[in-house]
Amino acid sequence: MHKNKKQATIIYIFIAAVIIMFLFTPLGKLFIYSIENENGGMFDNYSAILRDKEIITAVINSIKISFITALITTMLAFLLAYSVNCTGISKKTKKVIHIGILVPMLLPTITYGFAIIYSLGKQGLITKLFNREIIHIYGFNGLLIGYVIYTLPMAFLLINNSFDYIDKKYILVSKLMQDNFFRGFINTILRPLLGTIAGAFLISFILTFTDFGIPASIGGKYKVISTYLYQVMLGSIPDFNKGSVIAVVMLIPALVGVVLLKYLERYNFHYDKINKSQLIKNRKRDVILAVISILIIVMITSIFVVMFITPFVENYPYNMTFTTRYFTKTIMSNTVIGVFKNSILVAGLTAIIGTIVTYVSAIINTRSDIDKKLKSTIDFTAMVTNSVPGMVLGLAYLFLFNGSDLKGTFAIIILCNIIHFFTTPYLMAKNALSKMNPNWEVTGELMGDTWFKTIIRVVIPNSLTTIIEMISYLFINSMITISAVIFLVTAKTSLLTSKIKELQHYANFNEVFILSILIFITNITFKILSKIFEDKYIRVNK
Amino acid sequence: MNIRKLLIGVTLLMVMLVLAGCGKKTEQVVIYTNADEEAIEVMKEVLDKAGYQDDYILQGMGTSELGGKLMVEGDKIEADLITMSSYFIESSQKEHDMFKELNFETNSLLSYPKYYTPILANTGAIFVNTEVMSEKGLQLPQSIKELTKPEYKDLVSVPSIMDSSTAWLMILSIINEYGEDEGLDVTKALVENCGAHIESSGSGPIKKVRVGEVAAGFGLRHQAVQDSMEGKPIKYIDPKEGNFSLTESIAVVKKGNEDTEELAMKMAETIIKEARSKLIEYYPVALYDGEQVDASNNPENPKEFGEPLTVDLLEEHQKFFKKAN
Repeated sequence: MHKNKKQATIIYIFIAAVIIMFLFTPLGKLFIYSIENENGGMFDNYSAILRDKEIITAVINSIKISFITALITTMLAFLLAYSVNCTGISKKTKKVIHIGILVPMLLPTITYGFAIIYSLGKQGLITKLFNREIIHIYGFNGLLIGYVIYTLPMAFLLINNSFDYIDKKYILVSKLMQDNFFRGFINTILRPLLGTIAGAFLISFILTFTDFGIPASIGGKYKVISTYLYQVMLGSIPDFNKGSVIAVVMLIPALVGVVLLKYLERYNFHYDKINKSQLIKNRKRDVILAVISILIIVMITSIFVVMFITPFVENYPYNMTFTTRYFTKTIMSNTVIGVFKNSILVAGLTAIIGTIVTYVSAIINTRSDIDKKLKSTIDFTAMVTNSVPGMVLGLAYLFLFNGSDLKGTFAIIILCNIIHFFTTPYLMAKNALSKMNPNWEVTGELMGDTWFKTIIRVVIPNSLTTIIEMISYLFINSMITISAVIFLVTAKTSLLTSKIKELQHYANFNEVFILSILIFITNITFKILSKIFEDKYIRVNK
Repeated sequence: MNIRKLLIGVTLLMVMLVLAGCGKKTEQVVIYTNADEEAIEVMKEVLDKAGYQDDYILQGMGTSELGGKLMVEGDKIEADLITMSSYFIESSQKEHDMFKELNFETNSLLSYPKYYTPILANTGAIFVNTEVMSEKGLQLPQSIKELTKPEYKDLVSVPSIMDSSTAWLMILSIINEYGEDEGLDVTKALVENCGAHIESSGSGPIKKVRVGEVAAGFGLRHQAVQDSMEGKPIKYIDPKEGNFSLTESIAVVKKGNEDTEELAMKMAETIIKEARSKLIEYYPVALYDGEQVDASNNPENPKEFGEPLTVDLLEEHQKFFKKAN
């Protein structure tokens, strides 16, 4: 089976060229900018940053809040995953938890801040309900709430997924051996999950450290590194060298995180055979955990409820008469229609092209005969794209393509998105493809089919559900991202999220929420459509 | 259902969408503006009425953001037409020689350089939410300095001069009245009292006062006047330190594309000729021959700064503000 080598190599070269051009070159340029200096000293820019009190404060603030967020998120995510996997809570309740936790993933982070202000602020919906301000939300507290909401779904998915690989039989054994609760808990649940839990912590940390949307809307005086970078690049006295140094600094925790994640993989427990044994009945435990889990979900979703109320009343909170005036006016305006079209175009193209690129990369890696070393470079790329924060990538693009024809085009936004979101769809495809029968290609060849034909006739149809998931992932993430595109959008290529950022300037909450609803509805529709498509496909195949 | 057909269908749909997005290739005039929402609404209205509704894209942004773009990008800027604080237009012209001379008559009261003409003038003032004031038992403040009293702790909101030109109106009042030294103490105390309510946008404070997040704020006078006329619990106060004003102007960027430049020029003319009657309602300062301002809209205590307003002076005052933080 050496026939595919040539074809695979050609595809490999093509993908490598794309990745060198749109990942490594921009990052290289960013690095050069960061050491470039009129006086010639290699690290003058860096030492200047070290002496800059404001930046140091921003970095320390970022580390502090990311750490606390990660701690809280990991605990909550574990609690939720435990409730879903190791209790006798009713199936329906579990489903509510599962769906409820994913709601924030359909909204851009920049919306969270506004939703928090209008839920928990002095005139907030929740504040009104309780008739007093629960906490002061500007700055640290607001950020913390936002970040936890933002990172919880990802951490939950990760831990929840790992619970599938835990053999619940051991829980029973431990109980039978009369271990006390903690001993049993530690040995049968915590130990095997340790790698994943640490992974969830790291992911929460990195996501928080690099997010731009939440501090942009609710940061107040609490300066974090991402808002600082934005101000340095787009303030009244832009400083490109300083900006690039901050961007490089922002890379560090992410890179450290990725290395740690790789290391942690070793600690992941693997049972050879998973037994689906009955859980021990414990009514008290179930009720308590169900109440806590539902409470968490209610708290998260209640923050977003306000988004669906304020744009539909005359003058929140003074005049609560229902009106569709704002909604119709916003939806009908030329600008919003244009921006909405732009967003759909970018998300749609990112989804299609991104799926092709990542799928092909995974095929080359799992189902071709090219050199192992070459294959591992694709994995390396996936690791790098995973660790580069969107804002840093966007900035790198701005530097590299500033003078070129790509500046101010949709193409540059789409390319940036594809590289930014490369990792997850690539891994989805890789997992699915490596699980398939490795002999298909051989069989195909014996039957006189070329490699391509086998891929198209056998491999692709068999991974259709994964492909749909990849498309859906890329589409939704392109709809909600702001950090990756904030330096790249122009008036002509403005997107819904960047428009929200712009509306913030006028504190126009009604329009902010209406655009958020638009994003939400679009994403939900996309999710439902892909589910319908998937169900239909699976049924056809059965 | 045949999967292949469905797949082909979906793909075709996406392709059509893409083509629909890319196919339209008419050159639109891009307008960048730092103006407030009200002014943007008016500009849109008159442009649409003049039949330009599909010929332009209007992009609003903060003064410092647009200012940064002007100073860094020069005529490489995406915009064909800009409306912006006049001092920034002057400074970027000096740096890049990036604006075309206007080719229409304006009849302005004062004379301006040939490459710009004002669209509006902003005036600063204090405003309060009367409900919150009485709830907290606070007296109406008569000066910016009064807002530094301890009873206003966390109940005041002002814009930051790092991002907003409205904030400059306040800093000008403070420096003009108290000089740099005492002024710094006043600003320090004010920043302290604002806590988390230092806003990046000039309209930030009025929004916070409007919803009762804080009791008092400093911002654009006309916005408070408007609110109080609409029956909101808002009262405006002309501070003892004086009402300062800044003009925002319109200018056409030299982009080298004659058609768009000409279209942009026509739009500039439309805005100046048609929008003023409405703009003066929101920003009641007469700028052109024959304009009338309602007496109630005239600030009580108009003042002018001793030096010409330039970007350099702004940077100096930004440093002053930073020291107070």
